[in-house]
Amino acid sequence: MLQALNLTKRYPAGAAGAADRPALNNLNLTIAPGEIFCLLGQNGAGKTTTINLFLGFLQPTAGQALVGGLSVAEHPLETRRLLAYLPETVMLYPNLTGLENLDFFASLAGFRYSAAERRDLLLRAGLPAEAHARRVGTYSKGMRQKVGIAIALAKQARALLLDEPTSGLDPKASNEFSELLLALGQAGTAILMATHDIFRAKEVGTRIGIMREGQLVETLPTHSLTASELETIYLQTV
Amino acid sequence: MPLSPFRLIARHQWHTLLRERAVWLLLGLVLLVAAYAAAAGWTTYRQQQATQVHYQQQARRDWLSNPDKHPHRMAHYGHFAFRPRAPLSLFDGGMDRFLGNAIFLEAHRQNPVNFSEAGFSTGLLRFGDLSLALLLQVLLPLLLFFLGAGTVAADRENGTLRLLLTQGVSWPQLLLGKAAGLLAVGLLLGVPLLALTGGLWLAAQGGAPSLDEVLRFGLLTLFYGLYLALCCGVAVLVSAASRTARTALVGLIGGWLLLTMVLPRAAQALGSYVYALPSKTAFQTAIQADISRQGDSHNPDDPHYQALRDSVLRAHGVATTDQLPFNYGGYVMAEGEKISAGIYTRHYRRLLDTFRQQNQFARSVAFLDPYLALKNLSMALAGTDFLAYTRFQQQAEAYRYALAQQMNQLQIEHIPNRKRPPTEKDHTIDRAYWQRVPEFRYQAPTVQQVLRAEWVSVAAFGFWGLLLLGLGRRAATRLTAL
Amino acid sequence: MLILLFQSFLRATGVRLGLGFLLAAGLISLLVGRQFLDRQQRHRHEVGAAQQAELRQLAQFHAKEMGLMLYYAQFGLVNETPPLAGLSIGQRDVNPAVQRVTIRGLEAQKYDADLHNPTNLLLGNLDFSFVLVYLFPLLIIAFTYSAVSEERENGTWRLVAVQSRYLPGFLTQLFAVRLAVVLAVLAALLLLAVPVLGLPLDASLGLFAGTAVGYVLVWFGICFWVASLGKASGTNAMLLVTAWLGLLLVVPAAVNQYLLVRYPLPEALATTVRQRKGYHEKWDLPQAPTVARFFAHYPQFRHFPLPATSFNWLWYYAMQQMGDDESAPQAGELRRKLYQREAASRQLALLLPSLHAQLGLNDLARSGLGNQVRFLDETSRFHEQLRLYFYPRIFGEQPVAAEPWDRHRVQVFTDRAPLRPAGLLLPPLLLALLLAGLGWRNFRRHLYQL
Repeated sequence: MLQALNLTKRYPAGAAGAADRPALNNLNLTIAPGEIFCLLGQNGAGKTTTINLFLGFLQPTAGQALVGGLSVAEHPLETRRLLAYLPETVMLYPNLTGLENLDFFASLAGFRYSAAERRDLLLRAGLPAEAHARRVGTYSKGMRQKVGIAIALAKQARALLLDEPTSGLDPKASNEFSELLLALGQAGTAILMATHDIFRAKEVGTRIGIMREGQLVETLPTHSLTASELETIYLQTV
Repeated sequence: MPLSPFRLIARHQWHTLLRERAVWLLLGLVLLVAAYAAAAGWTTYRQQQATQVHYQQQARRDWLSNPDKHPHRMAHYGHFAFRPRAPLSLFDGGMDRFLGNAIFLEAHRQNPVNFSEAGFSTGLLRFGDLSLALLLQVLLPLLLFFLGAGTVAADRENGTLRLLLTQGVSWPQLLLGKAAGLLAVGLLLGVPLLALTGGLWLAAQGGAPSLDEVLRFGLLTLFYGLYLALCCGVAVLVSAASRTARTALVGLIGGWLLLTMVLPRAAQALGSYVYALPSKTAFQTAIQADISRQGDSHNPDDPHYQALRDSVLRAHGVATTDQLPFNYGGYVMAEGEKISAGIYTRHYRRLLDTFRQQNQFARSVAFLDPYLALKNLSMALAGTDFLAYTRFQQQAEAYRYALAQQMNQLQIEHIPNRKRPPTEKDHTIDRAYWQRVPEFRYQAPTVQQVLRAEWVSVAAFGFWGLLLLGLGRRAATRLTAL
Repeated sequence: MLILLFQSFLRATGVRLGLGFLLAAGLISLLVGRQFLDRQQRHRHEVGAAQQAELRQLAQFHAKEMGLMLYYAQFGLVNETPPLAGLSIGQRDVNPAVQRVTIRGLEAQKYDADLHNPTNLLLGNLDFSFVLVYLFPLLIIAFTYSAVSEERENGTWRLVAVQSRYLPGFLTQLFAVRLAVVLAVLAALLLLAVPVLGLPLDASLGLFAGTAVGYVLVWFGICFWVASLGKASGTNAMLLVTAWLGLLLVVPAAVNQYLLVRYPLPEALATTVRQRKGYHEKWDLPQAPTVARFFAHYPQFRHFPLPATSFNWLWYYAMQQMGDDESAPQAGELRRKLYQREAASRQLALLLPSLHAQLGLNDLARSGLGNQVRFLDETSRFHEQLRLYFYPRIFGEQPVAAEPWDRHRVQVFTDRAPLRPAGLLLPPLLLALLLAGLGWRNFRRHLYQL
């Protein structure tokens, strides 16, 4: 479902964050439907760049990012239709309620839900019912994250891109989030998640990739490893 | 059937803007100013109209009440031409306040059009003329820039832009939607202002408006609508290209200042520097010099008039002008009027050409500054521009010439040709002849003539529209959410 | 410490851009002023030369009749343009700086318009007063709208508040640095204007500079007060730009509209129409009563006998005089209303710093309505002198050749209306102080809050 072929991104010299080495170097990666792939790595290793390339927010310097077999660079709109995205901090329109935000973004994607369906989506994402009709400006970060999840769910996307979605969430919320991901994976969604949380990655991921200086240096299946083995490998690799 | 992303975004933008109390406050404030401008404008319009009609009638009565007289006395009695105000001048005063309102038309002399408001104004007038057009041309765009600075940049700043784009919205949909939402808010103010204009315009007609008037009003509405759309487009594009709403705002306000305050003045200053104007003295001296060259009826030894006399005497086979079968004095004056009016018209045309070159310079700057295109078009359609003014001057001069020649003709035909002893009274003709002189009526240029004179501004409008489309397309492919 | 503040301020690209723009606009305005003065100078010479040439030619054409000669002869009066007018052109481009009058009826000539391109008048001059009145405030706004609020938004305010020994002192310095930079630009432009426009270093120039500084101080006061409200940078910008729009666009235009409605001038048309009638209807009346009324006006000419001819110059100029005499009430009313307009706008200007500055600068540069009305008054005096001089020569049928025409040169009117230093300088200073005081009160309340 998600595929990177020799994907390379080099920022123009002089631009912010530009270095001699490419931000992403020759990435090859395939994520099948139902698979949850967790990208680990330090800050600046290339995780966010990878996600931005799949989203079409960046143009690759070389290689291709494919979504559902379509090149993102050539068909940005078609490929985005297949994707949902959850950033590290979900920012919404603070003056609209959770329900209204969900309605607006779902409608943008071409989906029309009844009020009951929208409430159901928010509940599935873990947002308590009494918060639904409150303005998002009053929400905590975790609550906004849940609306973001509901928006992703509403889109019925076939692939989900997550950029450190659990950072700043309390353990309970984080746990609920993992279960949601597993359910989505079982329903056949391909998931690419960038994260710092090794234990969460071991828990939900089917495979784990470790990145360093723009390169994917290690790809491991999670079922054969324990969390502490994984941590050892991670620390050795980076 | 879900709404298209374009409409969703436009609707969202509209709601976002109108949720702000400050926006309503600003809208209310502008409407208040508009109401004041309309009321004050209407009052002055009525005052001036009344004054003008009053003195026009009085001048006509004075003319008709003259007793039997020598026609040349009537040629000097002369007539007044009053420049009528166009109905749409209620909307856009344009140059009205800087133009003279009355001209005294008499034989031999081309008088200036006097009594402009500006001449009697304290320096205040130079701050601008409070009209509905000012609000639409200057204030509303600034307001749109204020509101539009954040349209895309704010989404970029708080991260919702990424979310929007991942939901499958394309850049063209996003930009167009934002611009449409902004424009809708702009129209919330623009439509009442134009409706107010329509009301004043109808009230000023005193009857059903002519087709020409309707076309003028329709075109005004069209161009103002286009201009507001242009402003929304610019605001959204600048916002989309800016990292933060604040940078966008600074850029937009800076641009507004440059385009509405500084550039017009600078362009006109440069235009009048390049195409220098003669002083009034130099202008009159040059005319006098040409008249002396061609034939000066005041010079008793002028060769042109000596030759004229000789040829007239020969043609009629008489020895002195006293023996001619018509009034020779009238004949000479008719010739003198013809020569001096011809020379004056030639010089005046040259002067107009200089004016036009100066104006054309500033008008061409409309390709850099769309505000000038709108300002010029608006004035032209309102009938308060340079073209309307020169029309008035030219028609007044044509009327003056006809009046003088009509009086000369009366003298040639009806005044005896013998020299009168100094103690005898003037020869006179019947006062019924005064009725034959028609009243002066100003004919405004037609809409077609106006558009032909303003083609540069129309072209500049087209150019800006295309430029904006081009920039929009480019932006749609180049912009990123990051 | 102060030096560091200067550096941090002047290093910002935006600040440099703004300063560059203002300097460039200032330089252009000086060139515009120079060009204006040159043109006025040229016109004055042209009038002088034209008058000499025309008088000589007319004396030749109409050598036999003094009355006919003076029917045509025009005499020029120049409204002297002081070099300061190059800084503030005011109404000088609307109103003619030269009046050329014959001794015939004055009211028909007094208001003769100059040749000018109305588009130039409409768009206005890019003179120094424009740069000062419109652009300086914008620069001040741009420099100060976020001076304090930005520190709060960036979080540097916490550090400053903890580090600074005396926070009000820091606040003062923040504004003082900006004020110093703006005043330096103003001083540089005015100093440059001295050689470019050939300004004499006199009291007028001093007051001109003082008025300009006063205006700048008022805007700093406004900005200081807005900053003291403790709003976000965006809100400050919105408030200040709205204030700018109000003070420079909406309110002056509204006041102008008000003056038009309050003091309409039908007398202008009334005077001309009355004047025409007053003169022309005398052609159809017997000569004696007209001349009698003329002698009533000018008893000193009573000894000239009325010739028995159906046309004579005594009667003719008596008729012309009647045009002026009979339209005098309307003309007087017109003049009174002009003074009323001037006085009303002056009173309103006390409340509006922008008007006060512009009108004050025009006064100093002798380019306002006041100067124009005084010039018109002087034209009347000048015209009266000409009449008194020539009437006896016409009625006494003095030979044209006996008159030394070359001695009739163009006269110059120098406006010497007194300047009012207190009226110019006090209102802006008081307003600036008031705003600063109010600002202080606000700041004191929440200076140490974060």
